[in-house]
Amino acid sequence: MTQEQMLEQIVKQVMSSMSTAAAPATGATGTVSKADYPIGDKRPELIFSATGKAYKELTLDKLLAGQLTPEDLRIRPETLELQAQVAESVKRDAFARNLRRAAELIAVPDARLLEIYNALRPYKSTKDELLAIAAELKNQFNAPISASLVAEAAEVYYNRKRSKEFL
Amino acid sequence: MKSKRFEALAARPVKKDGFVKEWPEVGLIAMNSPGDPVPSLRVENGVVVELDGKKRAEFDMLDTFIANYAIRLEKAQEYMAMDSIKIANMLVDINVPRDIVVDITTSITPAKITEVLGHMTVLEMMMAQSKMRARLMPSNQCHVTNVKDNMVQIAADAAEAAIRGFDEMETTVGIGRYAPFNALAIMVGANVGRPGILTQCAVEEATELDLGMKGYTAYAETISVYGTEPVFMDGDDTPYSKAFLASSYASRGLKMRFTSGSGSEVQMGYAEGKSMLYLEARCLYITKGAGVQGSQNGSVSCIGVPAGVPGGIREVLAENLLAACLDLECASSNDQTFTHSDLRRVARSLMQMVPGTDYICSGYSATPNYDNMFAGSNWDADDYDDWNVIQRDLKIDGGLQPVGEEELVAVRAKGARAMQILFRELGLTEITDAEVEAATYARGSQDMPDRDVVADLKSVEDLMGRGATAVDFIKALDRGGMRDVAESIFNIQLQKCAGDYLHTASKLSATWECISAVNYPNTYHGVKTGYVISDERWAQIQDIPWAVDPASI
Repeated sequence: MTQEQMLEQIVKQVMSSMSTAAAPATGATGTVSKADYPIGDKRPELIFSATGKAYKELTLDKLLAGQLTPEDLRIRPETLELQAQVAESVKRDAFARNLRRAAELIAVPDARLLEIYNALRPYKSTKDELLAIAAELKNQFNAPISASLVAEAAEVYYNRKRSKEFL
Repeated sequence: MKSKRFEALAARPVKKDGFVKEWPEVGLIAMNSPGDPVPSLRVENGVVVELDGKKRAEFDMLDTFIANYAIRLEKAQEYMAMDSIKIANMLVDINVPRDIVVDITTSITPAKITEVLGHMTVLEMMMAQSKMRARLMPSNQCHVTNVKDNMVQIAADAAEAAIRGFDEMETTVGIGRYAPFNALAIMVGANVGRPGILTQCAVEEATELDLGMKGYTAYAETISVYGTEPVFMDGDDTPYSKAFLASSYASRGLKMRFTSGSGSEVQMGYAEGKSMLYLEARCLYITKGAGVQGSQNGSVSCIGVPAGVPGGIREVLAENLLAACLDLECASSNDQTFTHSDLRRVARSLMQMVPGTDYICSGYSATPNYDNMFAGSNWDADDYDDWNVIQRDLKIDGGLQPVGEEELVAVRAKGARAMQILFRELGLTEITDAEVEAATYARGSQDMPDRDVVADLKSVEDLMGRGATAVDFIKALDRGGMRDVAESIFNIQLQKCAGDYLHTASKLSATWECISAVNYPNTYHGVKTGYVISDERWAQIQDIPWAVDPASI
């Protein structure tokens, strides 16, 4: 990849995370359950893309006319919250927890997400480095549930001598 | 003198298989190891302070993760006090609904569930599997790969596999850098065959996620977890990194399941004297605790290890059932080849084919075995008719159906043509008419002309460099006159925006209905309940083209 292409890609990345952040905030959408599932068929009015477009507005014709970008097809946190509620209605609480962590992580750019995953591998980070990531998730990305998972990992890795200090 | 009987038996294929006597100290034992912990659970103020004989201070990383996330604690003490044989009976009893059993089996410890399954025969476990499967109807998944990484052939094979009935398809690579082309080929080919097939490309974790985010794939499954801490470390991961990865997938609207299976810990030398089933139970509890919807398990690529010990194939069935007991989707292996004996490979698969699992094979090879890049499969393209006849003989639904030659040739041609068009419109390396024709009629890559690998890999680099995504693929297919295929790829992207297919045991119908354990839960509670083969489906299963029609005599 040339430097120019790389720069272009970085700019794209930045722009996409900005457009995600700029999505119109909507309030609580109420509670759904398995009766509303599949939400895309039964309650499409509840679904919006990451960029705030209504689900029913996402059509092949619009995409072919150049009116939809990849960001317009991305999931947004509110949708994952709805799916978490469906999961809870069928007693899949652990799965719902995962979906709520995921809802938080939408705001984290692709590249940073992969970096954090790599930092969580054994012996890759010190306890303090992992705690810093936990703080970043909590403060910068408003991702408290994911932050607590990483903070717990920091403690557990250190206690089991699986953090970078013990490499 | 030598026995002629023994001489004949010595020449049988089964004699080429490896067998070993039990050796519990190194984990060469399928179930019920003397080294398995005695089940126990103590909870204080909502915190697990003792798990299967260990105090919290003695927990390794896996114990900690399981204790913190994987067990529903509300009624755990009550259920732990239940007799294991009683729970085993509830699993088999058609009069006890799945919901009630799941409430128990998701509230007990890994050692307890291992003890429960340790009491059961394969017949009892098959009965239980039939009831405990998450989704109402069973399904099947295939591998589509070839030794040349020929993307035209992948598209044609995937298109054929689609009309044969597979709902999910998985590819991988010989040369790592081919991944984007192979991923594109299986997605396009599969959706030529029938709209709504979910596809994946098994590569290194981070690359796999990247391909998913860009829209080359619809889901992922090769996210491995292991049953002991040292093996997990050797895999360069932890339960925490994998849980974070799981959430990363869902944050991009991508379906995923974890992978685990017995034998990996033995193979890597750290089984800690535990039975294969107990270690697999730990893997599945980590899957559950991470909040992942499902598992590909059943020894998978280590099948040679359990298959070599007494009761090993029983243990593989127990693993699949254990996943279902934890209310997880189960893609039940039946993939990697493990035996020279055709009798053994059928017997092994009947354990899942008869009761039905969410995905019976998690890798039926849609090519001849010489093209299978997952080290060969227990079933391959040359076995298609055998599989169909077994379904017909037993009146079971293994997810496939017979197809006619004309239909097969037409769909393979369209799959290959779609790749040619896509590559032309995206400005990638040329796919010639000769290649399209070769792929249309090929059995495997030996029938395919060689491609210019250097030029292909440069083209891959170019495609990735421009940051191409599904939006580009959809536009390109439409420009080339393949609007129906473009629409299929588009509709898969919509699933990632709505998130319905993230749920347990999902698949998509040809009319884009998301079918999962939420809207189609398994309701089996006795004869003629749950999934019953419809008259239409039975007609499809029995219609092998070469059967003699009395009306024609």
